Formats: sequence, C-alpha cells, structure tokens
Amino acid sequence: MQRPLCIAHLYPDLLNLYADKGNIQTLVSRCQWRGIDVEVVSVPAGTTPRLSDYDLVLLGGGSDREQALVGRTLLSSQPEWKAAVEDGLPLLAICGGYQLLGEYYQLPNKAKVPGLSLLDLITEAGEPRLIGNVAISSEECGMIIGFENHGGRTTHSHDVLGRVKKGFGNNGTDGGEGVRYKNVFGTYIHGPLLPKNPALADLVLKTALEHASGNTVELEPLDDRFETAARKAFLERRIQLPEESVPAAQA
Amino acid sequence: MVLPAIWLGKLLSILLRLAGRNATSLPGKMALRLSPKLLSVLGAKLDRCVVVTGTNGKTTTSSLLAGILNADEPIIHNREGANLPQGLTTAVLQHTTWFGTLRRKTALFEIDEATLPLVTRHLPVKVLVVTNVFRDQLDRYGELDTTVTKLLEGIRQTDAVLVVNGDDPLAKHIALHSGLRYRTYGLSTHHAEITHHDQMRDGAFCMQCGHELTYSGFFYGQLGLYHCPECGFSRTTPDFAGTYNGHTIAIDEDELPQVEFVLPSRGLYNVYNTLAAISAARLCGMNANGIAVGLAAYEAPLGRMQGFQTTPPSTLNLIKNPTGCDTVLQAILSEPGQKAVCIAINDLAADGKDVSWLWDAGFEQLTQSPDIRVCITTGLRAEDMALRLKYAGYPTDKILTAADLDAGLQLAFEQAESLGELDLYVLSTYTALYPTAAWLEKKVTLDAKTPLYRTSVS
Ligand SMILES: [Zn+2]
Repeated sequence: MQRPLCIAHLYPDLLNLYADKGNIQTLVSRCQWRGIDVEVVSVPAGTTPRLSDYDLVLLGGGSDREQALVGRTLLSSQPEWKAAVEDGLPLLAICGGYQLLGEYYQLPNKAKVPGLSLLDLITEAGEPRLIGNVAISSEECGMIIGFENHGGRTTHSHDVLGRVKKGFGNNGTDGGEGVRYKNVFGTYIHGPLLPKNPALADLVLKTALEHASGNTVELEPLDDRFETAARKAFLERRIQLPEESVPAAQA
Repeated sequence: MVLPAIWLGKLLSILLRLAGRNATSLPGKMALRLSPKLLSVLGAKLDRCVVVTGTNGKTTTSSLLAGILNADEPIIHNREGANLPQGLTTAVLQHTTWFGTLRRKTALFEIDEATLPLVTRHLPVKVLVVTNVFRDQLDRYGELDTTVTKLLEGIRQTDAVLVVNGDDPLAKHIALHSGLRYRTYGLSTHHAEITHHDQMRDGAFCMQCGHELTYSGFFYGQLGLYHCPECGFSRTTPDFAGTYNGHTIAIDEDELPQVEFVLPSRGLYNVYNTLAAISAARLCGMNANGIAVGLAAYEAPLGRMQGFQTTPPSTLNLIKNPTGCDTVLQAILSEPGQKAVCIAINDLAADGKDVSWLWDAGFEQLTQSPDIRVCITTGLRAEDMALRLKYAGYPTDKILTAADLDAGLQLAFEQAESLGELDLYVLSTYTALYPTAAWLEKKVTLDAKTPLYRTSVS
C-alpha cells in the first residue's frame, strides 16, 4: 500500500492570479494518465501548512497586497520552511510565489516586504513592468515557454532555471530566468507554466515522486501530440525560434 | 484650431464607410492625433454625459440604456465596444457638423476601466454606472488593484451620481471611496444561493481592511450577500432591488410601488445588465413607460448570443475573461439539443496577449455536458485552446484544430452538418469577432441562395 502523491496548493484564495489551476490540472492529469495516485490539498489563507505531509508544494502569484498578507502568514513558520527546503522538499514557486522565496521585495517607496529567506535572492520593484511572451533554454528540460508579467527585478546567487532566448527573465538585464536550488523551481513564467512545458511538468513530478519514495523514478512517456502542436505553433508564431532538443535523460 | 481635426475625422468616416470598412475608431484616432484637445473641446459642448464602466456587461448595459434614453431624445452613443478615447471621439464626430457644432447634446459612453481616468475630466458626466470589477485582461492593466485605482481616479474627476452594483464588494468599495453620491442596485436576497462551488478569488477579501469576507449567500462570482467580520463593510439593501421571474423583472425603488418590466434577453448575467440600465435610466429622469418602450426596442449587440440564420443555424458569442466565458458556456449549455462548438482564440493586443485566462475559465462544463458532440479550435492560439480542452477532459478525438479562421469556421460547419445538422455555437475573442461575424453573414446569404438539393427522407 502506497499513499497517494500529495500536492499542496498554498493559499489558492490569495495567490491564484496566473492560472495555477492549469498547473495543478497538468500535474494531476499527468499522474492519472500514468496510473499514479495523486491528491491535491488546498491550504487556505490563515492556515499554517504542514510541510512534512506534502510531496510537492505549489506557491502561486497574487497582487502586491495579497502577497504581503501571505508573506506575514508564512513568516511565522520560516524555520520549518528553511529546514524543509534544505531537506529537499520539492517546491514550485511562480511569479509572486517566486519572489516570496527571497529575503525581501523592495517596494517603489524603498520599503522592504520581508520574504521567507529560503534562498539568497532579492527582488526590487522596477518600471516598466516586464510583460510579454517568453522563451528560455533549460539544461534539464529544453525550451520552456510562456508569458511573463512582473514589475519586480529579481537577482540571486543560485543556478537559473534557464537562459533567456526571448523576453526579459529575472530582471531584464542578466539573461537569467527563474531559479533552481535543490528541489526548488522558481520562475516568472506563467501562461500557465506547465501545460505547454510537459518536460518541465514531468521533471517536477519525477522530483516529487523521488522525494516521496526515496527511490529513483522513471516516468512512462505520454501521448503529448497536443502539447507538441501547441509548442510548435507558439514557437513559430510568437518566438520565431525552433524547438530545442530535450536532453536524453528526459526524452 | 480643432476644425481641421473635425474635418479630417468626418472625411475619414465617410471614406471608410464608402470602402465598406468599420469606422468605429480610426477617424477619432487620426483626428486626435491632429488635435489632442479635440475630445475636451467637443465634450464641453455636451449638456450631459452618462458613462458605463466595469469589467463585464458594459456593452449590453449601455446598449439597453441607449435604447431607453433614445426613446426620450436622440443621443450620441459609442457602439460596438469601441470604448477607448478614439472610439468616443469617433462617436461624437458622427454628430458634429462641419462647422463644429453638436447636433445631439446627450452622450452615453461605454468606457474601458483603463481609459476612464484619461477622459472623464473632459466630459460633463452626470450619471456613472459601475457594473462590476472582475479579473480581466491582466496584461493590459497589471493587476486587479490597479483596475480599482484607475476606476477611482477616473470617477473622482467627475461630480456624477454613481450607480453601482451593490452585490459586488469591489464596486461597493469604489462607491464608498469615491467621495460622490451613489445609488446601488442588486438582486433581491431570495435569489441568493447558500453554496458556491467556484473558487472565488477577486474581491473575496475586504478591500477596506484586508480581512476575508464572509457570505451568507451567492449570486455569481464574488457577487452575493457579503459581510466583513473585521470592519463591518457589508452589502446593504439595494436602492434598486430586482426580482426576476422567467421573462420579467420587478423593481423595488425606495417606497415607490413595484414596477415590472419584460426582460429583453436571457440569463442571470443579463438580469444584472437590465437592472443596471433601469437604475441609471431612473436617475436620468426616465419614467416606467419610457423605460419599458426602450427595453422593448433592444437588439442583442454583436457577439452576445447573436443568432445567424445559417444552415445549420449558428450563434456567436464574445469571450474575453474567465467569468464572462463561464456565463457564455452556461448560456450555451442551457439551450436545448445537441451542439457543435467552435472556439476562436486570438492573442493580439485587443484580445490580451496573455492567454492564461483560458485556464481559469470553466471549459470543463463542455466535458460534463452530454450534448457537445465536437469542438473545433481556431485562431492564432488554436493549439493552446485544443490543449486546454484536453486538460478539461474533453475527448481528444473530438477536438479538431485549424488555426486559419476561415478554415476553422468551414471545418466547424462541415462537422455540425455531418453530425446531423447540429446547432453551431461559435465563441470568439475580440479580434476574431468581426471577421467571424462577417464570415457568418456571408454564409447566411449563400445558404439563402443555394436551394437544398437534399433527398427528403420523410
Ligand atoms: Zn473589512
């Protein structure tokens, strides 16, 4: 008897600005199509997450006001978060959730909204907002594509999720997008992120399954014809770049 | 001088119409380029201006209200969703003489949330309607808080009387913070449902203090009987309370006797639009008789359950954000019979370049209905839409894709016909709407001319 893979969706009532529903649906469907038992736990605002119960945590984006509310809630359990991440808790953080991983978010008036300080990462508000279609090249899962819309400029000392091929990325200047640290995935890319990036979706799932079981996991390939067609159309019409070959480990 | 700009705008309107093109915004755009002050100069010549803004229902509400006000005196009205400054200017130019005088003195404008702060100070706004504030086209406005800020900024430049949807906590918040006099409209409480299955987001938190709102009943989305346990912010009894019953809506206004009107179109959504229009018309001084006449004259605007006598018959709907899209899906599914569906998604600036919202819309409704036999996706994001349907659990062998709009519509009709003359429902984002409507019109003409040489089986 194996317990189902447990995905925690943090504060869907506050941080659900950029179609997190699509990311969760993708993870759940890709489990179900492979016969993997999965459950999603919605952790509403005001609740302290029970990190040891989760195999994967999803932290989405909200408006500045809502993010400040979330920051305050999360801060009370900062030591638990830090320990869990160092221990390899798989964490997918998008947009505002990504910024929350860092030390602070500096508002235009220079006031600093404290983050969870899980990573050596800071974000400063900037003008104009960085908005548009984006494509990045990732060593782990080929081209990652989507849409970005953020005022914040993020800098950090860790590995990036990918190198910007089109768009702005973390800050519009250093060519990096997102963050990779242990089992943490952070990014500004939505659109949503996972449906059109099945290689990344599967990498996140594999990470979660391996963390849950302690064993190496190989995922069965799926029929990704719709995904492939959507990627091809987007790359041709909106990015004008060819698909990059997915590394052998993921193929 | 503004006269040359007026001439340019009027000339362009004439030329565009001669060329058979849509002249809803280009004339105003070019005229404003020549004379940026044009709108304020023309605006100063108006006696009064009525404005409708908000996320959903602007076009329907303002069309209903236009019908009512027109019954009293001819008005200027920006039709067909041309709600940016160039659209407003084009509308006024249509009723401006070559000497620069206005032939009509009352204007009714539907205005985009982001445009509102740019134009209200130029217009003598007497009545301003806020229909609701939902998540919409995020890539244009940044975020929801920005939308509220823009609305407030635009509203505070006027000394209008506000007419707000009191069932919407965000619209109510705007009224409270406007510093202006306001009246609310809303549904009578017995229409509220106790449970709410959708994940609510926008406005689920008190804009006054940040605390979570509690609801004792829901209408739809965040609209309902809300109350903030922290600061006491709450829904109050509407000044205009609507009770609907099939085809009619009864209005309770203050202590006045209840008045009943025939609803001009169906769906809960349109009950709110009608309620907004009636409330605004009352503040404009219209009596029940005038309102009834105006409502009866209403014709559904482009892309709101707009029917086409094609073979098989088709219906066109505009979709642009999750809440509006869900309402359209509900309306389609409440129609009887088996159906074919065609979804046209573009991602140009006017559509919103970010298609994330497709994933927040409840396309799962199509999967759950036994009546949807086939889905055709088309447009610049046809493949994204197909992927969305796949993850909504819709059978992939019934999803067909043709990115080219003409090819997509053609395919949709072939499918609808071959599956047994199914009714075809077309959903379209903004920039695909006109071309789709034109394509369907053409098909109506062709189908009428072509005799149906089909062997009768009866
Ligand atoms: Zn409150």
